[in-house]
Amino acid sequence: MSGPDVPVLFELAGVTKTYGSVTALDNLSIRVPPGATGLLGPNGSGKTTMIRTLLGLIRPDKGGGTVFGMDILRRQLDIRRQIGFSPEDECLFPGVQGIEFVAYAGELVGMPSTDAMQRAHEVLDYAGLGEVRYRKVESYSSGMKQRLKLAAAIVHDPKLLILDEPTNGMDPAGREDMLRLACDLANNKGMSVLFSSHLLPDVEAVCGHIVVLAGGRLLVQGGIRELKQAHAGSFELRLKSEDEDFARRISGLGCDVQIRGDMLLVKIPPGQTAALLWRQAAEANYQIRHLRPQRSTLEEVFLKAVEQT
Amino acid sequence: MPIMEQGYQHWSGRLSGHSWRWLAITRHGVRIQLRNRFLRYVLFAAWTPALLLVGMLSIWGLLERKSNLVATFVEFMRFMNPNVIADPRYYRVEIWRLSYGYFMHVELFFSMILILLVGPGLISQDLRVNALPLYFSRPLRRVDYFLGKLGVISFFLGMVTILPTLIAYLFGLLFSLNLHVAVQTFGILVGTLLYGLIICLSAGTLMLALSALSRNSRYVALFWLGLWFVSSVISSVLAGVHHEEIRHAYFYNRPPAQIGAANPQGVATEPGDRMTSGLPQDGMANARQYWRNFQLQRLRDSQTDWRPMVSYTANLLRIGAHLLGTNQAWEKLAKLEPDTWRRERLLTRYAGPRYPWYWSAAVLAGLFGLSLCVLKWSIRSLDRLK
Repeated sequence: MSGPDVPVLFELAGVTKTYGSVTALDNLSIRVPPGATGLLGPNGSGKTTMIRTLLGLIRPDKGGGTVFGMDILRRQLDIRRQIGFSPEDECLFPGVQGIEFVAYAGELVGMPSTDAMQRAHEVLDYAGLGEVRYRKVESYSSGMKQRLKLAAAIVHDPKLLILDEPTNGMDPAGREDMLRLACDLANNKGMSVLFSSHLLPDVEAVCGHIVVLAGGRLLVQGGIRELKQAHAGSFELRLKSEDEDFARRISGLGCDVQIRGDMLLVKIPPGQTAALLWRQAAEANYQIRHLRPQRSTLEEVFLKAVEQT
Repeated sequence: MPIMEQGYQHWSGRLSGHSWRWLAITRHGVRIQLRNRFLRYVLFAAWTPALLLVGMLSIWGLLERKSNLVATFVEFMRFMNPNVIADPRYYRVEIWRLSYGYFMHVELFFSMILILLVGPGLISQDLRVNALPLYFSRPLRRVDYFLGKLGVISFFLGMVTILPTLIAYLFGLLFSLNLHVAVQTFGILVGTLLYGLIICLSAGTLMLALSALSRNSRYVALFWLGLWFVSSVISSVLAGVHHEEIRHAYFYNRPPAQIGAANPQGVATEPGDRMTSGLPQDGMANARQYWRNFQLQRLRDSQTDWRPMVSYTANLLRIGAHLLGTNQAWEKLAKLEPDTWRRERLLTRYAGPRYPWYWSAAVLAGLFGLSLCVLKWSIRSLDRLK
């Protein structure tokens, strides 16, 4: 994802940022294409610092970068006009109704007040808060506040939406709604999304591309599909009946077998193919219900990347 | 789910530039504050002195034109020196100065109340609900944030100082029907507007700094009351103590004979000089003269007395007196009094503090600088670890 012809949403080059003895970003270089990108990393990995750097809120000690081709050191305000940001922490404009909250967010970006109000109604409907738009925001539940922040972030129709832990504190239904909204914006509305989260299934549900940070450095970057590559000679196998006998049978043929619940993870010997498993099942009169090449989960990709540090 | 759910629509409008972005914060803040019914009552009450100012300038304009319409009002102006009523044009500037001076004096009181109602929550509430990331992740600089918040305070102070000043000025001109009035009084208008701006800037910044020091707006309100009342009380106590020191030095530390020797000519006694009542009879006449000298001494002393500067509002009043020229106005009116003693007594009673205005300017500038430092320190940028 680093070729010169690939369109770039944002790019950081050798960015280093330290706070006293803490190095938040360590010579970070990264190019991210438009679309939905998941930002992963353990606590203190530099995710928030990277987001703030992109927003031009942080002046790096070293290095630089661009967002939409605009220099993060010189055109911070122009960059922020085109970004919608939903912060991780619970933060509100005090003493306002939901509709005023979103309209105010639009005005702060520079929308005319009538447009901001009209647009606030639209995005609140979109975020599923239309029924509570006239309630004071202090009375909103955590999930409603997250959706309110999302509505405030998209009120000016940004090109890039940054969601920092958007499903924090949400119940399963609310989380589902939030992911559906993020997915819709990323896939159907042409909005690029940078989705920072600890919840890998959430990232996987929304994003097609991930960036993994740890210790302020880039560990892994790429499309989720590519990163979850098929393991050569490894298969997931599920049988209709008891599978321990079958496991013993194929182990005797040199296969490495692990039982995971009702699934067998089988690594066949070099030079063999899946035909070996079909043949053995037929001979022993086992019925195969599921057989496919084993792929890494996102969790495995993440853990493997983090273990490297 | 609305019946006509349209889903997400793109917006194709244009965003405004950065220069006036702070105005969005001000507009929003004013809208929110105006929901406070008590604030609306105070605002309404604060316009009453403005009506009096408009009335006074209009009446004076009619008086200059010797209009019959004001014959009734002249009866109510007997408290003024008859010479002033007899030649209103000659004393026009002084009357305007004093009218504006009294008006701003009262409005300063209302301004303090308005700031108390509007200001405490401006930043402290944002700190409490962690709103700063919402502001600073948008195309806003810290200075825009401060300006926007200051704009909220300035709006309300402007409504009770600057707006009435302009309206009253227009009425004054309209009723005088004399362009020369504009030439003569334009400086007063500029001075009053400048004074209003100084109040907005100084008190507004100070309140914002206090508001940035706590997440609890009640504490901020208490800080403000403390700054306003306690500093005034301390200043009054210090002034009272100093006054007593001078009085003792004049009356009680010298024997009556010495008082008489100090003033061999003697003068006619003044009935009602309360301060002489405790003195021995034989020294009474000279003591009264001494009392007058004491008043003169107080007047002279007020030119170097720093004690009023302890009070925050007294500093604003001193700047106001300088900008509006109220002390000069009193000096001119005092010349109408028949003798020096009465002139000085009038000045002592009515003219404000006479120490150099730039002392107060220095105090206010210091507070302004301190406020900016507090704001800079309290409202940090997001360039930090969480």
